[in-house]
Amino acid sequence: MSLAEELARGGAIFYVQRNYEIVRQVIAKSLIEKGVVLEPLSSAVKKGWVDKLLWTVLPAREIEPKGAFVYIPPYVKVQAPVSFCFTVDKGSQSVHNVLVIGEGSEVTVTSVCSSAGDGKEHKGYTEVFLGKRAKLDYVMVHSWAKDTRVEAELGVIVDSEAVMNELYVSLRSPYELRGNARFILRKKASLSASTIYLATLGRALLETGVTIESENSSAEVTSRVVAAKGSIVRQPILLEAKAPNTKGHVECKGLQLSHDSVIETIPSLRSAHGGAQLTHEAAIGKISEEELAYLTSKGFTEDEAVTLLVRGFLELGIKGLPESLKPQITSILDLLARAATG
Amino acid sequence: MLPIMSLLKLEDVHVHVEQKEVVKGVNLKVERGEVHVLLGPNGSGKSTLLRAIMGLPGYGVTRGKILFEGRDLDSLKPYERARLGIALMHQNPKPISVKLQQVIEELCKRYGAPQDLVQKLGVNGLMDRELFKGFSGGEIKRVELALTILQKPKLAMLDEPDSGVDLGNLRLVGDAINSLANEGASILLVTHTGVIADYLNKVDFTHVIVDGRIVASGELNEMLNLIREKGYQAFMRWTS
Repeated sequence: MSLAEELARGGAIFYVQRNYEIVRQVIAKSLIEKGVVLEPLSSAVKKGWVDKLLWTVLPAREIEPKGAFVYIPPYVKVQAPVSFCFTVDKGSQSVHNVLVIGEGSEVTVTSVCSSAGDGKEHKGYTEVFLGKRAKLDYVMVHSWAKDTRVEAELGVIVDSEAVMNELYVSLRSPYELRGNARFILRKKASLSASTIYLATLGRALLETGVTIESENSSAEVTSRVVAAKGSIVRQPILLEAKAPNTKGHVECKGLQLSHDSVIETIPSLRSAHGGAQLTHEAAIGKISEEELAYLTSKGFTEDEAVTLLVRGFLELGIKGLPESLKPQITSILDLLARAATG
Repeated sequence: MLPIMSLLKLEDVHVHVEQKEVVKGVNLKVERGEVHVLLGPNGSGKSTLLRAIMGLPGYGVTRGKILFEGRDLDSLKPYERARLGIALMHQNPKPISVKLQQVIEELCKRYGAPQDLVQKLGVNGLMDRELFKGFSGGEIKRVELALTILQKPKLAMLDEPDSGVDLGNLRLVGDAINSLANEGASILLVTHTGVIADYLNKVDFTHVIVDGRIVASGELNEMLNLIREKGYQAFMRWTS
């Protein structure tokens, strides 16, 4: 039985796109029976399902609708993760995904984007509409070949009382990356957005924008950037509140593993209402000698201690994700720590 | 017949910290399974001596020898000393940017210790926390002791395990030290109050260190009574 079929038996959705070709598109029968839809976005466009949604959260682009469309009807709990995989190994790839998650539904989405061989460019745009009282855990993992140029944008509307936990992880940095994640929070909505970026090459611009539009909502934006080998990472984060009784916190930390790397973090807060409580903290530093001395006294070599500290630094930046994702996150952190110090 | 080596032997050890001599010629032998208590006022060189034995940066031995199972530790890095079986329970460690769970897992892997070895120390509730960040005094001591135990040391050097610890935690800490000793580890315990001594099942030797020198060695209660009655000043004349 193939991996896709196995996942399908578990009640999952699995979508793989290589360049512009859909390699796998699997959805479990049990989910179809519940009204869950997985279609190529082009097909959803033709059927007129997404007319009112396209490019409403992200600025419009003139690209073909090549990507996936997922619809989860109201009050459906999807047990296994909805998995996307996009890879480019020849020329360039543009992807546009639309996810509509109905009121009261719950789902975990994992999205892996990568390049190999002659993959020169990846442009990915994902728009998510999270319905009232819905819950979404969203993990996006990037791993790029060194010659790839990447533009990745995520736009999310988190409707009233909905909960979103988002984690973006970059395992291998490309020579150029422009990332932009924007979130709009409605009444009593909650967001936890974490970025884990390991830069061992090139330049990255990682923008995050959170707008708390309505009252009693909260957002926590956390980022951990590790930079080495001459890489440059710029990270502007804007947290904006437009309503009373709202809370927001931005925490961005950078760790420089080499003298020739650059990290620039720009946390910004904007309150357009007197009843908002917004805070931020930012720090950039190197591995502390004191921490190294402590760990080596416990029997770790200096390299092992650095790996442990990098891993810990990254792990402490992940917030809000469910226990069910812990094994995958643990593997990712192990990979990252080894890559950072290798 | 091969000579029987002491587990730890200090021969005229002098230690400098930031160009100031803090330990001024210490001689000491610790045999296998022995429990030694090192008493002394603040600043007398007790912690410096332990850190120098561990080989921590900034605690250079400028004269004398530190021998562990007959081997001169001089050229060995801290991790190599730890792997020989020397563990240091730090007095007041600063936060380490790693979750306690991760450090425990790594130590268990390295030393082959089962994690439940430290269950009694009640550290489970701290597993998901950044190591030592926001920990209370008692939590720091319990966690440091737990990490020391997981190293399955031949020699456990415990730096002020009783400072900043409330009575409830003192019992836990004392019991854990007794367990370590029961497992066969030798203990070199530093304290300036001697409070922890009430919770230890046995103490083989007690030494008093003043101004970087061991000025007296003997039986625990005898030393404690003298210190309680006359203070460390009673030993000052020995240093002149």
